[in-house]
Amino acid sequence: MIGTSAIPGARFVDPRVLARIGNLELLARSVVDGFINGLHRSPYFGASVDFAEHRGYVPGDDIRRVDWRLYARTDRYYIKEYEADSNANFAVLLDVSKSMGFGSAGITKLDYARMLAGCLTYLVHRQRDRVGLVAFDSDIVEHVPPSAKHMDVVLHVLDRLKPSQPGSLRAPLHKVAEHFGRRGILVLISDLYDEPDAVIDAVGPLRFRGNDIIVFHVLDPAEVDFTFDDASSFEDLESGEQIPVVPEALGDQYREMIQAHIAALQERFSANRIDYTLVKTSSPLDHALFSYLTTRERLGRVR
Amino acid sequence: MSFLTPLFLLGLAGLAVPVIIHLIQRERKHVVEFPSLMFLRRIPYQSVRRRHVRHWPLLLLRLAALALIVMAFARPFFNRADIAAAASGGAREVIVLLDRSYSMAYGDRWARSVDAARNAVTSLGPSDRASIVFFATGAEVALRSTGDRDRLMAALATGKAGAGATRYGPALKLAGSILSESALPRREAVLISDFQKTGWQGADGVRLPDGAIVTPVSVGGGDTANVAITPVSLQRSAFSGQERVAVTAGVINRGGQPVTGLDVTLEVGGRAQQTQRIKVDANGSASVTFAPFTPEGRDTRGTVRIAADALVNDNAFHFVVAPKRPLKLIIAERGGGAGSSLYLSRAMSLADAPPVDVSLKAGESLSTDDLATTAVVVLNDVPVSTPLADRLARFVERGGGLLVVTGGRAAWPGTTDILPAQPGTAVDRTRGSAARLGALEYGHSVFEPFRAPRSGDFSSARFYGYRAVTVAKDARTLARFDDGAPALLERRVGHGRVLMWTSSFDVQWNDLALKPVFLPFVHRAVRHLTAYEERPPWSTVGDVFEAAHPGEPRVGRVALTPAGQRLTLDDEGADVLALDEQGFYEIRPQGRETEAPLTVASNVDLAESDLTPMDPQEVVAAATGHAGAASADALGGAPTAEAQERAQKIWWNLLFAGLILLGAETVLANRFTLRG
Repeated sequence: MIGTSAIPGARFVDPRVLARIGNLELLARSVVDGFINGLHRSPYFGASVDFAEHRGYVPGDDIRRVDWRLYARTDRYYIKEYEADSNANFAVLLDVSKSMGFGSAGITKLDYARMLAGCLTYLVHRQRDRVGLVAFDSDIVEHVPPSAKHMDVVLHVLDRLKPSQPGSLRAPLHKVAEHFGRRGILVLISDLYDEPDAVIDAVGPLRFRGNDIIVFHVLDPAEVDFTFDDASSFEDLESGEQIPVVPEALGDQYREMIQAHIAALQERFSANRIDYTLVKTSSPLDHALFSYLTTRERLGRVR
Repeated sequence: MSFLTPLFLLGLAGLAVPVIIHLIQRERKHVVEFPSLMFLRRIPYQSVRRRHVRHWPLLLLRLAALALIVMAFARPFFNRADIAAAASGGAREVIVLLDRSYSMAYGDRWARSVDAARNAVTSLGPSDRASIVFFATGAEVALRSTGDRDRLMAALATGKAGAGATRYGPALKLAGSILSESALPRREAVLISDFQKTGWQGADGVRLPDGAIVTPVSVGGGDTANVAITPVSLQRSAFSGQERVAVTAGVINRGGQPVTGLDVTLEVGGRAQQTQRIKVDANGSASVTFAPFTPEGRDTRGTVRIAADALVNDNAFHFVVAPKRPLKLIIAERGGGAGSSLYLSRAMSLADAPPVDVSLKAGESLSTDDLATTAVVVLNDVPVSTPLADRLARFVERGGGLLVVTGGRAAWPGTTDILPAQPGTAVDRTRGSAARLGALEYGHSVFEPFRAPRSGDFSSARFYGYRAVTVAKDARTLARFDDGAPALLERRVGHGRVLMWTSSFDVQWNDLALKPVFLPFVHRAVRHLTAYEERPPWSTVGDVFEAAHPGEPRVGRVALTPAGQRLTLDDEGADVLALDEQGFYEIRPQGRETEAPLTVASNVDLAESDLTPMDPQEVVAAATGHAGAASADALGGAPTAEAQERAQKIWWNLLFAGLILLGAETVLANRFTLRG
């Protein structure tokens, strides 16, 4: 399904249609290329020109970085330093807890998150940034360190992810914070089912290490609008707990609470200079990408 | 309000079902997987549970429908007192049908039936109306459609058990007619009777208007022992020139115990003449024959009587015996032709009903005096002169009977036109086959007794000669020969009748006189000419007595009933007397009080003495078209709970309303589902 949007020239594609494309790379490419081609003005992509310099080899340097062609000409060892080093590390922190397996509109939150992560990875890869991936539930499930060559690996890992465990934010994100030595851009994709303060607490260490954090809060429309009708027993996907629910009776209360939760998250993230974007699985991926790029542009300018 | 089957009210517990459906079943219908109950858990469960009822109208509809259906099964009804109080249910038109046949005089039946009728009147509401109808053989409205209780009570007080027999048909038809004319919404008939089996002779087209209720109140039952006199048989005989009558009476015992030493008395002229003591077995009968007595005077009254028992009316049987007076008949024949009237005169002298006094005369010697004292004249093949014809014409016009036999010599002057046909030439049938009687008018009173098969064969008689005739316009041909020529013709002249036989009554022209049918044939012919009708020795209550014979001049008459009441028979309208009492009626022409009266004996219908009861529901079913009508308590007359419930049929309305509500619930539920 192809639709139009307020963003001029952007080709927004229904996520349910994209979900049918089995190849994540093809999907990312079609979304991103279409997206970029449609932009009138390319945003600032960051440092993209390779700028290399040579310095003399000192013991301890990685011999893989010796420029052998220069050695052939000069018979001296030089180490080739790439401007690429100044490029940002980009990593997707993807929540694969069981609650992400929920989907009411033909696509689960994890599927959507998977596509979003793939598209972002592809987009970032085109900018020569290093791409990585951390999938976590209550612990880290998959880890692909950021690298310019890891685009395929990231897409492959993304493709295999399945929700299997209850999740938490604090433990895995703290672990990630310890692991990531270099600053970079971290994109957290999660449904953020935790208290706002706890979420900030979980994300805080990452932020303190100088990472730019972009949070995509992925929610199913049913979670936001609570469009249930019949009185039923609601089962928690993560804990398996069931409680009787009459949607008519507590729908309004629920909607108030989820909106309050979103507002609280927005406020907390804003206060911590963390970009927060609420993404519904019914909205086209382009929308999320656009949101990312505008943020990225702003970040770039600031730097 | 009361309930016929209150146990069904336990079904009201079923009202919990929709509530359970609303509160429990709906939330257990299916499980919805949800990412996190983080927020839902924070909403207090109790408040959620209380608000589970989403559609109050739906729940209330279901509860109301179930409640109505349960109430319908409990069969609710209003007590009679409640009905009277709740006049808003609609005013009633009540017909109180009160049986006053003579069987109601048995024991205290009449008093109980009047009490039941009073109860019915007392139960009337302020806007109700009632009619009082007494019935026996016929039905009579004592008071028609009024709400005035005093007048109704007064009308009830005028009633008493009569002498009639029970007939439900006329009473129910009358009730149906009053009810159908009523504009009140509720129609009811209260039938108070002893419900004898003999009173019901099938539905007979009796049907009350739709929706009418029949409430039978039976005052019968209990002991039905009764001894009754059956109709007597009278055997006449002649002794020393006097007529004597022997009376045989029957006694029937309808009780389960034999009756011994029962005195049966014959009263003649009001005086006890003979008494015989008999024994009658249980459910049996016996007969007693008294010694013959000689009736004196015009009408001798006789009564057979037994001792009084619980039912008095059937203990006496009245009859009237009149000595038979012979009918005077003159046969005019040719002088010297004595043989020609032999068969006819012999045949007539044998007549019994009525006996005939036959005298033979020469044709021309018939004087006016002769004609004044005779009833019938037979002109047996004689030529008639004009003066004689004129005398005969006057005789016939006064009511006399004339039989003209046209043998070969008969002649009639053309100036006097009273004959059915003018005799013409003689037809000779001696050659070839003889003529036979072909077509007979079996519908005519002359030939009516020969109508049935093997009741007389006229075709066996052979006719060798007869007179061709020219039939008058107003004559009727009663018999024809096989060639179509008339054999017997009739013509009415004035008050009399003229018959013409176109052959002879001797054996010259035919052999009819030798056949067995000759005797009854001439008897019937003479009886027809005199319009003789034997008065029965007794009648039954409910019969109608015709004082004057048809054709007789009407005179004013006065009747004295057995109760001593004088009735003037209307000389303008039908000169008839309705017999509705038991005993002897005396009828005299007005102004001739000293003249011996005409006496008519009237007896009760013996069938009514059989007190065997029937099921009142049979009458109810026939009258209302359905068997389940109200029944009543035999003693108090108050209808049972079941009867009231059946009559009111509230359950049907409740069930209908419940089903309507269920239908509405379906529509509403669908609408909510679509909207949801």
